Amino acid sequence: MLPATAAALAVLAALLAWPVPALLARAGWPRRDPLVALVCWQAIGLAGGLSIIGALLVHGLAPWGHSLPEAAWAVVGGLPAEAPVRGDHWVMLTLAGVLATELVGVLLLSWVRTARTRRRHRELLELVVQPASLPMALPATPPDARLLEHPAPVAFCIPGARPLLVLSSGMVAELDDAQLAAVVAHERAHLREHHHLYLLPFVAWEAALPVLPAAGRAHAAVRTLVEMRADDVALGSLPGPAPRRTLAQAIVVAAGGAGGAGVPSGALAVTGSAVGARVVRLLEPPSPLPAWARVLALLSAGLLLLVPTALLLLPAL
Amino acid sequence: MASLGDLERAVMDRLWSAGGPLAATELRDGLADRGLALTTVHTVLSRLEQKGFVVHDEARPRRFRARGTRADHAAELMHEVLGQAGDRQAVLARFVGGVDPDEARLLRELLAAAGPDDAPR
Repeated sequence: MLPATAAALAVLAALLAWPVPALLARAGWPRRDPLVALVCWQAIGLAGGLSIIGALLVHGLAPWGHSLPEAAWAVVGGLPAEAPVRGDHWVMLTLAGVLATELVGVLLLSWVRTARTRRRHRELLELVVQPASLPMALPATPPDARLLEHPAPVAFCIPGARPLLVLSSGMVAELDDAQLAAVVAHERAHLREHHHLYLLPFVAWEAALPVLPAAGRAHAAVRTLVEMRADDVALGSLPGPAPRRTLAQAIVVAAGGAGGAGVPSGALAVTGSAVGARVVRLLEPPSPLPAWARVLALLSAGLLLLVPTALLLLPAL
Repeated sequence: MASLGDLERAVMDRLWSAGGPLAATELRDGLADRGLALTTVHTVLSRLEQKGFVVHDEARPRRFRARGTRADHAAELMHEVLGQAGDRQAVLARFVGGVDPDEARLLRELLAAAGPDDAPR
């Protein structure tokens, strides 16, 4: 009864599970405008989940009505099916339930686990580190910065209600003041724009769908884009004649030092190329995306969300 | 009025610098300049125990000691930050991931080749 709608949603789901993420991950334009690309990735993730679960639901609920809301209402109201309910309907409904539960469950689990790890890191930091201000003259010394005694040059931030920005003593030793200011500006950009929230669904979906190569690819792409976006924001607040070069220098020093400190080599292929892309992008900035291209990309993202929603809510074809 | 985090750090500093386990009363006396009540010391100690930083023995009175050194805890934190765990979770947005020596050299060359000026080409 609803075959065309279900088929359309299934096709959309298939496109979003494989070719679309593959194309976007390989495209050159995201590095010209990381923020727009991040919006597109969120739309792909959301529309993908919506269309695969929607396709299963629409097919499974077909005997109960002509549109999904109508059929769902009939089931909730305990009305009898209008058409005979076959085995495949039950299979689809079960699959929809399992998939929806898994996606939402893994997202919640990921949220909880992340919050717990973050709390642990905060506890460790508060114990190990004296809340002293950093030994340098930053244009605006952040009140939430901590200095961790460790030779490896490392900087990171812990988001949350009371965000913390952490620099290792190795980082402070290796960089000059301008470079340190660039690092701090980069980390504060992460915190201010809540980049951990952009990452969360992709971390969760990679965990939920380890068989789907697109999930891992999407996660890696989003991780890189978030870093590029933070670079861009940091550049805006940096004084000095050559902020791009300063930030690039800081990245190169930190990357080389962290590698020397014995980072496990398994993750390096992915992270490494992303670091390289960031440095190249800083030294040879690509021209910004023209306004029409940004509008086009954002429209596509909106359309991507609108199509499955419309297919789900409108009467069946 | 010192914050709890402040007191926790002070207590840990005491435990770390002490040669062996300390009783709560000894901790209070050691922190006499802060004028702490014994109940406050116990509160701080039980918080630290919950967080896994302090363990106590079964002697009477109970004596407390730090589970690991300050360096141990710093190393635990850095291990997670530097390791792959941080990359799998949305926990830490780290400034730069590690790269292997070859790529590090490549990046330095890139930086050198770009020249000292920042003019976009």
